Amino acid sequence: MSATPDDVLPGDAKTAAQTSTKAAEAEAEYGHLVRSEYEHGFVTEIESDTLPPGLDESVIATISQRKGEPQWMLDWRLAAYHKWLEMPTPKWAAVHYPPIDYQSISYFSAPKKKELKSLDEVDPVLLETYEKLGIPIEEQKALAGVAVDAVFDSVSVATTFREKLSEAGVIFCSISEAVQEYPELVQKYLGSVVPPTDNFYTGLNSAVFTDGTFVYVPKNTRCPMELSTYFRINEAKTGQFERTLIVADEGSYVSYLEGCTAPQRDENQLHAAVVELIALDNAEIKYSTVQNWYPGDEEGRGGIYNFVTKRGDCRGDNSKISWTQVETGSAITWKYPSCILRGDNSVGEFYSVAVTKGKQQADTGTKMIHLGKNTRSTIVSKGISAQHGIQSYRGLVRIAGKAEGARNHTQCDSLLIGDKCAANTFPYIEVKNPTAKMEHEATTSKISDDQLFYCRSRGLSEEDAVSMIVNGFCKEVFNELPMEFAVEAQKLLSISLEGAVG
Amino acid sequence: MSAQALKTETPATAGVEPAPFDSWLPQAAAGEPDWLAAARAAAAARVHTQGAPTSKSEGWRYTGLRTLLEQGFTPVDEPPLGEPMSALLPEDIEDVLVPGLDAHRVVMVNGRFAPQLSDLSGLPAGVRMNGLRASLAADPTALAERVNAVAGDGAHVFASLNTAGMDDGLVLHAGRGAVLEKPVELLHLSVGMDEPRVAQPRHLIRLDDGAQVTLIERWASLGDALYCNNAVLEIDLGRDALLKHRRIQLESPSAFHIAGVYLRQGANSRYDGINVGIGGRWARTDLVTRFSGEHAECDLQGLYLAGDKQLLDYHLDVHHGLPRCTSRENFKGIVHGKGKAVFDGLVYVAKDAQHTDAEMSNRNLLLSQNAEVDTKPQLEIYADDVKCSHGTTVGQIEPEMLFYLRSRGIPEGLARRMLCIGFAGEMIDALGNEALAGHVADAVGRRLEAATL
Repeated sequence: MSATPDDVLPGDAKTAAQTSTKAAEAEAEYGHLVRSEYEHGFVTEIESDTLPPGLDESVIATISQRKGEPQWMLDWRLAAYHKWLEMPTPKWAAVHYPPIDYQSISYFSAPKKKELKSLDEVDPVLLETYEKLGIPIEEQKALAGVAVDAVFDSVSVATTFREKLSEAGVIFCSISEAVQEYPELVQKYLGSVVPPTDNFYTGLNSAVFTDGTFVYVPKNTRCPMELSTYFRINEAKTGQFERTLIVADEGSYVSYLEGCTAPQRDENQLHAAVVELIALDNAEIKYSTVQNWYPGDEEGRGGIYNFVTKRGDCRGDNSKISWTQVETGSAITWKYPSCILRGDNSVGEFYSVAVTKGKQQADTGTKMIHLGKNTRSTIVSKGISAQHGIQSYRGLVRIAGKAEGARNHTQCDSLLIGDKCAANTFPYIEVKNPTAKMEHEATTSKISDDQLFYCRSRGLSEEDAVSMIVNGFCKEVFNELPMEFAVEAQKLLSISLEGAVG
Repeated sequence: MSAQALKTETPATAGVEPAPFDSWLPQAAAGEPDWLAAARAAAAARVHTQGAPTSKSEGWRYTGLRTLLEQGFTPVDEPPLGEPMSALLPEDIEDVLVPGLDAHRVVMVNGRFAPQLSDLSGLPAGVRMNGLRASLAADPTALAERVNAVAGDGAHVFASLNTAGMDDGLVLHAGRGAVLEKPVELLHLSVGMDEPRVAQPRHLIRLDDGAQVTLIERWASLGDALYCNNAVLEIDLGRDALLKHRRIQLESPSAFHIAGVYLRQGANSRYDGINVGIGGRWARTDLVTRFSGEHAECDLQGLYLAGDKQLLDYHLDVHHGLPRCTSRENFKGIVHGKGKAVFDGLVYVAKDAQHTDAEMSNRNLLLSQNAEVDTKPQLEIYADDVKCSHGTTVGQIEPEMLFYLRSRGIPEGLARRMLCIGFAGEMIDALGNEALAGHVADAVGRRLEAATL
């Protein structure tokens, strides 16, 4: 009460004025670059076999029937659906969006042509789409070591390198195929890491998932190539409900790449995927993601809602699961790739770069649950927020009473570009074992004028300088990406941030 | 509370016992000013509709209220008309005084101002101190503008409870430029309560422009009684004002302790606060800072020792709504036995709060298998030209350090205690008052002596 309004206001008003001038200058200088159109925004016209919007038991039965699923799968879906009906929508994330009408979504969409024997039978329009996206399917065989299971909407239409993989005994197929061909494996592992009742979106996914990937690497096998799936949402009003299940049996190793782009749309598209990883004794799974879905227009209209549940279970001793993600797209990202470190000496890693600009919102992070002895986890999270972007790191490190000698190191850095964006950090740390060692550090900063000046004085343009500084900021994470992805990720980051400087 | 708190703390209506806090509320007192009666009624209604927070409310995720609610606390009895609030004499409280502490002393017994134990002589011109009740009796309207001026009609259920049930407190007003050479000791003494009682003091501290005060707030008890204190401090700092605030919580081992420190800082003011938590069975402290002028500095430090099935919970909420303010948060904890410590710090930097400098650190020594630390250092930042960081560690005593001391012939138990005292020493030194530092060091030493480390 003692400070009168006069004490406070002048300074206040001055700052506000300064800020707005600064913002206006930045807008004038870089606006054209920021507003550059989404590069991958086009729609492929292709006949689709789509169910009418709505969700009830008959829709689930239809999905199951179209996929020719056995009865147990249908029962599983229906059980999940009934649980889902009773679940509340999670509201705790720092993201805002209008309520979703789940009855206005079409839950199944498949390109009409099916049962392809070779790439030649694939719809040429589709192949063209992939080419526009820079996925050279026809050159896949020439491209060393990358097998692509390209998902166009909800059904796998092309899978390559199957023979080479099967020689090694690795199963790499769509989840629908796996349900038919390897029911015992699917029944054993599906839902064992992320149960249908885990949260609202996993409930929905478990009821209606249409496709996804199944990987099984047998004992003592090193998967001979990087496995990769490109996802692409293409049908208006269809949510994609992917289900990925990767099992690495004892002593095996697999690296999996996931990358996505989506065409421009006016309506928000829901994506609620579930990814489950299981690593048995001495096994290692490396899961990398580059996510570049349509983020919406300048007002945030039409972007993808990306509500994903990803979780890995280090079930065996000495196992390792590593998540690396580069998140530049989507209107809303809600995603927490996690590790349950159950086996003794198991290792969990999470490396993340997330960029939000325009009206993008990202609430992302990880959970590291230490249960076994001498378990170790590392979290490196780099958040970059520009324009009106909102970015939150939300993470949990829990060291249970029996996790003797557990070790965690967490580092969360945020970079703010502009004065209208936000960067939040919400770490939760729960330690119940005295031999545990836990460190957490976080910083928030902007690109310093000194850094910029130094680069400019060396003849770099401001754009290049910023791109360079930001890439340096993210380097720790990019180093974890497989080569092909690292290049793509760096390029993506530069494009994403073009002009967002001010 | 901040926007974040308002957003996440939706009142829990389902599954809550009806009106869990009704027994806490006093009978309407006759002769109270209308504004106070109205504020009490509104707060009581708010508590009634909010109910008790559950572990689903974000701010109470790690802090269960079950044991607190089970006690069925009732307000401290009013003394018969004409009798003093407390019959204690100065010689009765000698044991709880800090030897060698030269201070203006205000003693509250079971939440009531006890003039016969207090010493308010020699106050310089411009500094006024009185009990809350006495102030109201002298001028019923004087405090109408000050009660809840800083704390607000906040979402915090215990602040509302305090508004509804506040029984007395300290009203301190340091006028423009007044400088108090000697510290003010605010001693809360809980004594001889045979039934579980709750005292709800409300302190109103106001420093006008340029005033400088040191406030030593202490909590102690005579005996091991079970009781509850639910205190609210409203601190209003004018331009260039300086408040050094030492909070030493040494409640009885059976006590419940709830404190809300609400702070508003004017331009260029400085708040230097150190919270020491050692006593109590269940203690919750909320430190809430808001800035009303630029270039203000807020230092929140803390040291907590939790053991013996103790719960010590600190919630910090620093809201940078204006540019160019600085906040430092540095809390250290030693958790042993079946102790549990919670640290939940939030630094919020609003859109226009450029040039904010905020630093948060929480370091914990976890010493036993059954102890638990839950820490949540949060940053919410909406401005780009800021310097914000936080760091947290949870660990044990380094075996190398222990080995070094043992190789010098020091028994393991003593070595561990020495290392703990070393860890705590930074905060004890920072107290900046020799007598008080000695008092706290003794309490820390006694605790570590008794603990199996």
